[in-house]
Amino acid sequence: MPATPAGAEPVRSLYVHVPFCAHKCEYCAFYSAPPSGDVVNRYVAALVRELELIAPDCRPNTIFFGGGTPSLLTLKQWETVLLAMERLGLTRAGEWTVECNPATVSADKAKLLRDFGVNRISMGVQSLDEQLLERLGRIHTRDQVFRSFDTLRAAGFENLNLDLMFAIPGQTMALWQRTLDEALALGSEHLSCYEVIYEEDTPLFAQLNAGEFDVDEDLACDLYDALIDRSSAAGFRQYEIANFARDRRSNGQGPMTKAPEPQAGELVIGNGPLDLPTFACRHNVGYWRGLDSYGCGPSASEYVRGLRAKNWSNTTLYCEQLEKGRRAKEMAEALPPLGRAGELAAFGLRMNRGWGFAEFTVRTGFDLRAGWQSEMGDLIRCGWAAVTGDRFHLTRAGLRFADSAAERFLRPEAL
Amino acid sequence: MDAAHIRNFSIIAHIDHGKTTLSDRLLHRTGTVATRDMEDQLLDAMDLERERGITIKAHPVTMLYRAKNGETYELNLIDTPGHVDFAYEVSRSLSACEGALLIVDAAQGVEAQTVANVHLAMKQGLHIIPVINKIDLPHANIPQARQQLEDILAIPGDEAILASAKEGIGIEDILEAIVARIPAPKPTDAPSFQALIFDSYFDTYKGVVILVRVTKGELRAGMQVKLLHSGRTVEVKEVGSFNPKPYTRDRLEVGETGYITANIKSPREVKVGDTITDPRNPSAELPGFQEIHPMVFSGIYPINTADYEQLKVSVAKLQLNDSALTYQTESSVALGFGLRCGFLGLLHMEIVQERLRREFDMDIIATYPSVVYRVLMTDRTEKEVDNPAFLPDVTYIETIFEPIVKAFVICPGDNIGDIMALISEKRGEIRHTETLDARRVMLTCKIPLNEILIDFHDRIKSITRGYGSMDYEPEGHEASDMVKLDMMVNGEVMEAFSALVHRTKAEARGRTLAAKLKEVIPRQQFQVAIQAAIGGKIIARETVSALRKDVTAKCYGGDISRKRKLLEKQKEGKKRMKSVGSVEIPQEAFVEVLKTN
Ligand SMILES: Nc1nc2c(ncn2[C@@H]2O[C@H](COP(=O)(O)OP(=O)(O)O)[C@@H](O)[C@H]2O)c(=O)[nH]1
Ligand code: SF4
Ligand SMILES: [Mg+2]
Repeated sequence: MPATPAGAEPVRSLYVHVPFCAHKCEYCAFYSAPPSGDVVNRYVAALVRELELIAPDCRPNTIFFGGGTPSLLTLKQWETVLLAMERLGLTRAGEWTVECNPATVSADKAKLLRDFGVNRISMGVQSLDEQLLERLGRIHTRDQVFRSFDTLRAAGFENLNLDLMFAIPGQTMALWQRTLDEALALGSEHLSCYEVIYEEDTPLFAQLNAGEFDVDEDLACDLYDALIDRSSAAGFRQYEIANFARDRRSNGQGPMTKAPEPQAGELVIGNGPLDLPTFACRHNVGYWRGLDSYGCGPSASEYVRGLRAKNWSNTTLYCEQLEKGRRAKEMAEALPPLGRAGELAAFGLRMNRGWGFAEFTVRTGFDLRAGWQSEMGDLIRCGWAAVTGDRFHLTRAGLRFADSAAERFLRPEAL
Repeated sequence: MDAAHIRNFSIIAHIDHGKTTLSDRLLHRTGTVATRDMEDQLLDAMDLERERGITIKAHPVTMLYRAKNGETYELNLIDTPGHVDFAYEVSRSLSACEGALLIVDAAQGVEAQTVANVHLAMKQGLHIIPVINKIDLPHANIPQARQQLEDILAIPGDEAILASAKEGIGIEDILEAIVARIPAPKPTDAPSFQALIFDSYFDTYKGVVILVRVTKGELRAGMQVKLLHSGRTVEVKEVGSFNPKPYTRDRLEVGETGYITANIKSPREVKVGDTITDPRNPSAELPGFQEIHPMVFSGIYPINTADYEQLKVSVAKLQLNDSALTYQTESSVALGFGLRCGFLGLLHMEIVQERLRREFDMDIIATYPSVVYRVLMTDRTEKEVDNPAFLPDVTYIETIFEPIVKAFVICPGDNIGDIMALISEKRGEIRHTETLDARRVMLTCKIPLNEILIDFHDRIKSITRGYGSMDYEPEGHEASDMVKLDMMVNGEVMEAFSALVHRTKAEARGRTLAAKLKEVIPRQQFQVAIQAAIGGKIIARETVSALRKDVTAKCYGGDISRKRKLLEKQKEGKKRMKSVGSVEIPQEAFVEVLKTN
């Protein structure tokens, strides 16, 4: 892997995929498999090799370990990865997140991660109702969530995210409100809440098609409204369709002594409705702003200097390639500037703050007001979008139709 | 050949009763075609004709037969289309003949289709020779067939010739009967050369090939002839007959049938039933000419809107050999550009659609067919309306007249109750019921053409498990309480679904259509009202509730590319959406509803 080209900045974001799960959840379409035999060690070695390859061009401000279940790696395996990262100068990120399953958090592991510089943990909770957890095929219990939360706090994590799911088959409004209230009461800094997605090739999708249950769209909408109202009453601010975070000054429960320092110039943190809340996930915001990012591990995607690439979703194949000393890319596509600009316009609108006109021009080289004038006009007219100051953004109603909005802004003809 | 030694005849038969087999036998027996050249079904040239067992174009063939009296006769067999949709063409072909063989399957007996065709032949004054075919079959019932000839068709049963086309039995008798019973052609008293055009087809090299029967004088290459109705005078390039392949002759004499070519490039200049004559001293036109009037209309649209030009070219090509097919450009909000086509009847419509699909590989959808209504206006003028979209405002309409047919339905006696119920559901009136034999009855009824357009035949087939048969002949127009049923989406009419229906049927049809549309119209960001209306009055309503969201929950680094592709595909799809009353509807939705109509 070549070092950073002359005159260019190194890539400031890194994603690492850990492709192991103890058990497959009913709804899950991510690439993951059970950690059998020596495959995890082999993966760790291959990952280290891949990190070595990208390190010369990567000085991450944000790191995100996702999966799969990163917390499934043993202490030993984690140590191998973390030591390698330290050696490669990849550990100084201002925001470093690791996803954890509440069933696989231990005090030792938490401490190790914290010691090496991990400062944000995202916990896959999904629900606090035992029956629904069962329904989703989750391996953890509701008690494990509370215990793991305390363990993480005790280990010194001051930025915690909880993932929740709503519109789970069988979930009533009452059940959702209970989970929501209990989760809010935990006092995390961040919440990610998703409506269940029926992905092809998942058991849940097959059950839906077999008519085992129906999708109640009205209920799903009501659940979402409840989410927005309750989370904001509890001091969270929505900054993206599925993401909510607290501000430092909002006095929720929990420690919240230290918020990450803003790093990239465009991440404006502030109290205004269109500003990012203090604990917004900078790594993900980077995706929606179109920042370059490396992706390592099986099935990981990356976007680096106009080239989008994806690794093989096959751990053995991934390892074989890296053992031969090369990255395991399944595909790479170059996006022409207008195509990329359309994509960014489209996905940037998923954030409440939308796009600043100047900011968009800096990121893409195109002027939103010139190239997307009629699309903007259409959305404003139907009440889905507004221009506030020098920003174009979706309204609360418009955020519910962000896919329609995104579709209009894409420029497939440029691709 | 002198007229006294010429016999012109056609064959009337229900499908599968043996017309083609017998024709082949006659060709063989007369030495017209050597055995080794025999291929199955010589006369049915088109694949579709073979498959469906129907003749679409007239196929004349000339045979020489040395009769028992020692003399040689020229026998011209004109194989006519066997369906009343082509009644006019059939009548022209029949008028080129003096007689007809009526073939009845000894095991099946007389069928509905035979009745309608025999009526036509009798109207033309043809001498009919009944032939009871398939006597070799173990369950042949000859006495019963004879009885049916008398009872149903009023043809003396003892005149019937017993034959087996398959086994070659009775072929000689048939040939002798043709010579003995069918009159020789008589010249008309026209003052000059005169001939009847009874069909035509298009040949890429020769242009239009005109099939003629000479009624006075003789035809030679090099002659100038005038086509009376089209008004054109042309020079005859080639004169010939068929054996069954075309071969040139130096002349066609009075009473003979054959073909001419004259470098005519446009089939529309050659009208079936027209008279050709000497331009310097024209004879009168032969009786019976009619401009062809389509009876059934329907819009044909390409499923893929980009294929419109190709559809136009294909239909134009088809028309070269099917001048009864008419078309003009039409456009619909729902389906884009298409052609409004006129057909002679249901079968003709099906054949055209099928040929477009098969021979031209076109993916098409047809709108709800319409018959031709006569509309008497309050100012006493009359209009013909074949497209409900063009029905004048009801306040200016005095009366609407709809076309009526006389239908013959033959069915097993067991099913008579269900068939009668079907006929009355279709607003039909049973005129009389006849017992044909131990198993079957024939119902003769009066029924509106528009009621039998869609599923009448299919339902007869399903009620009778395939044993029933049906045919019809036009019987003028009758005043009728027709209303225009419109389907609306958010207040805007979708013409593709408009139809003239009888008042008693409007509500049911409106409800069914509204319910079907509700199934296929995707939810929008606002509520969509689907309404069925007569005039301004809503008679059925369905609501597609508004979408409250369309967004999927997550979208991070790894999802962006996949998600983008998904949305792009959606965007591409929307280009093919039709916007009706600001409701975006995929074309497939319309197609879906039209298909299940
Ligand atoms: N057993 C028997 N079968 C026959 C006879 N004539 C025709 N067929 C059969 O009946 C079927 C229909 O014959 P075809 O000549 O195509 O009938 P068309 O539809 O009237 O032209 C074919 O399978 C023939 O072989 C016959 O005299 N005896
Ligand atoms: S833990 Fe996460 S990655 Fe693993 S199966 Fe469940 S949802 Fe999928
Ligand atoms: Mg046949």
